[in-house]
Amino acid sequence: MFETRLAEIETLAREQGLDFFSTSFEVVPQDIMTEIAAYGLPTRARHWSYGKVYQSQRLYGTMGLSKIYEIVLNNDPSMAFLLDSNPDIANLLVAAHVFGHVDFFKNNVMFAPTNRNMINDAVTHAMRIDGYIERYGLDTVEHLMDIGFALDRHIDPHAGVNRQPYPERRVVEKEHPTQPYADLFDKPTPSITYEVEGEAFPPHPERDLLWFLTTYAPLDTWQRDVLHIIREESHYFYPQFLTKIMNEGWASYWHAELFHQYSGVNPDEMLEFATLHASVVNPGGRYSINPYFLGYTLLVDIEKRWDQMHQDGASELTGRQKLFEVRRTEDDISFLRNYLTIEMVEKLQLFSYGNQNANPAKPRSDQSQEIVITSRERDEVVETLLTPRYNYGVPQIVVKDVVKNELYLEHLNRNVSFLDRRYAQETLAYIAELWKHPVHILTHDEQSQEVYLVAEA
Amino acid sequence: MSLPWELRRRGLKDSLRHDQRVKEAIKQNLRDLISEEAIITSDGNKRVKIPLRYLDQYRFKYGQPQQGVGQGEGHPGDVIGRQPGQGDGSQPGDGQPGDQPGEHTYEVEITLEELTQMMLEDLALPWMEEKPERQVTSTTHRYTDVRRKGSLANLDKRRTLMNNLRRNAARGQPEVRDFHDDDLRFKVWDVHKETHSNAAVYMLMDCSGSMTTGKKYVAKSFFFWMVRFLRMKYQRVETVFIAHDVNAQIVPEQEFFTLSSAGGTCCSSAYQLAGEHLEQHHPARSWNTYLFHFSDGDNWPSDNAVCKELVEALLAQCSMVGYGEIRYDSESSFYGWISQNTTAPSSLQSVFNQITHERLLSVTISNKEEVYQALQKFLQPREDSHV
Repeated sequence: MFETRLAEIETLAREQGLDFFSTSFEVVPQDIMTEIAAYGLPTRARHWSYGKVYQSQRLYGTMGLSKIYEIVLNNDPSMAFLLDSNPDIANLLVAAHVFGHVDFFKNNVMFAPTNRNMINDAVTHAMRIDGYIERYGLDTVEHLMDIGFALDRHIDPHAGVNRQPYPERRVVEKEHPTQPYADLFDKPTPSITYEVEGEAFPPHPERDLLWFLTTYAPLDTWQRDVLHIIREESHYFYPQFLTKIMNEGWASYWHAELFHQYSGVNPDEMLEFATLHASVVNPGGRYSINPYFLGYTLLVDIEKRWDQMHQDGASELTGRQKLFEVRRTEDDISFLRNYLTIEMVEKLQLFSYGNQNANPAKPRSDQSQEIVITSRERDEVVETLLTPRYNYGVPQIVVKDVVKNELYLEHLNRNVSFLDRRYAQETLAYIAELWKHPVHILTHDEQSQEVYLVAEA
Repeated sequence: MSLPWELRRRGLKDSLRHDQRVKEAIKQNLRDLISEEAIITSDGNKRVKIPLRYLDQYRFKYGQPQQGVGQGEGHPGDVIGRQPGQGDGSQPGDGQPGDQPGEHTYEVEITLEELTQMMLEDLALPWMEEKPERQVTSTTHRYTDVRRKGSLANLDKRRTLMNNLRRNAARGQPEVRDFHDDDLRFKVWDVHKETHSNAAVYMLMDCSGSMTTGKKYVAKSFFFWMVRFLRMKYQRVETVFIAHDVNAQIVPEQEFFTLSSAGGTCCSSAYQLAGEHLEQHHPARSWNTYLFHFSDGDNWPSDNAVCKELVEALLAQCSMVGYGEIRYDSESSFYGWISQNTTAPSSLQSVFNQITHERLLSVTISNKEEVYQALQKFLQPREDSHV
């Protein structure tokens, strides 16, 4: 019964133009659901921090405070998990939602470089790390993983997972055309200069801290492997971080759309569906917006506007066609900049807020903070929404220089905010532990003055 | 896809590992925890919350809460909420479950009993002697027997292996294989009653005006853990609480920990009272008596000679006398004349320095964290060296 309806919804989804990897569903008890959600993948290298998440999630789950409805993995073939205690109608909704996600994984351009075999690769990662634990001891491996996880968001998504080391020092020939477009006019008489490459180390500010340390810090092979595993899995999760709003919006749009067209549910179930849909795309609280809601609402708005424009002859694309284009080309940053319009900001009554000291005379530590509406301007609202989405959600830190074996880092865009001093100091100590020589970082203190923090090896 | 067994169900394994790390973190923090106010002022059975910085997952992050986007009515400049002080950047309201777990300082809950166990497990009352009368008993569990039936948790692996090997060897194949129910052996425990000699512990505290709140706090935390320790380790130990300024009196436990007083200091009064009480209730022939005194050492000068005599008399009666002197000066008191130089032994300690007796132990405490060392010193398990 359930399987039949699931197959019908899958067929419907494909008819509507969704293009997804073949997806297998597994119905599991809550506990397994919690466990997969805590790890992010069904099987992954062990670490105590997953245990911490699992423990608290499980507690919330048992107390009925939170329920994980769905897990879907970006993989070819894809794999999704449904909760055994859910009624069929809820799991059908989830399945429709899942098809939206898998279509997004397959077609959104940000996901193009991701490893589509991560489910299996993570298993081999886990086995390799288990081997290291056996050989070098749990404490040692765990500590190295602590360090890896501290830096796992400092990667360079554009450079990709597999990178070549910087070029060796060598002289390269460079051609300089005598005039622009000279080659077009069949006058190939370029002047040639010789430049030295690979003199500076690193040749450019390096934002992939994890790659830099894995490649150039004096480490054992197994240590490099552990860090590489962490970096690879971090790369895998990056597009999901970058498209949270769109991805959830797209999946929500499609479960709603498919159920509007699907005839295989009775009226009682339809009511249940509507209730569940309403809770999935609930607007959120006063201080935060539900990303499902935001994504869904914007997509519905885009479809309406482009249908209108198509009707008026202003656009070749229909609303639906426009949606497919958006899902292919945008990430959250461009999506919000392009489609969170002034009208939508007004309609959704969005505002940006910030903290302000209630009593500036007192020291900052025991200040009570007032939360104040800072703006209702569209640009301000959009940028505030985007701030935590830049750079994998972490401050931008680059490797600037290596002088006498000492590593110099720089915190870019320091004016955004200062670093948490204690955390920065501890993280720096982690890096120094790998680098085995002192590590410095140029950043701002709380008064926006430039300051160097140092960690000895 | 078939998965190797050891890779399945890692959640439980990792959460056990997490628990283990919590315990380790507590152990590393004992020195600080022992003077933690929240613990000492708790009612005894409560679970206590311990902040664990050790379990923070460090990374580069911003130091102040960032702005956010909300929805609803209001104009720019309107105050829409309030965050309490020491804001750690937690978002107000319900919000989304964050995608960065564990960003906050982690707190664990633990019972006081567990905590005491961890702190004081290696300690014992020293120089405990066998006395002919009235035995103090405590119970322990010991594996005493081996049987063929039992719970698997108590499986005696070595014997089980041996039996298997023996059985196979009897059939001409000396190797471990094909386990049979008959091979299994289980350890069985018995409740074991351990008898101790009688013990009485006298706790003397200086409550004179010169004992500032800070100093008294140090003394109280010492006695707090002392009492917890005795209750945990020895089921029937008698405790006597004596508070003194110029005069000494025996007070109930509750009062001892809440007492405040003012006035001069005359330590001899406490020793006198303790000596009398001891003779009456805990004579040396049937009791091991321990006496601990905490003071800031600012004794009335003319009283010192009397003190010396009394302490010498007490040493003849007691298994041990411990004296702790508190030079802790968190708040500068207006009794400034008393503690002019904190490095030289103060009046009472200089007196005790003249007594050389193996069982007179004294410590100086100059900050809260040293309470732990004091406990370690006083309660070091010691064997009898001269009997």
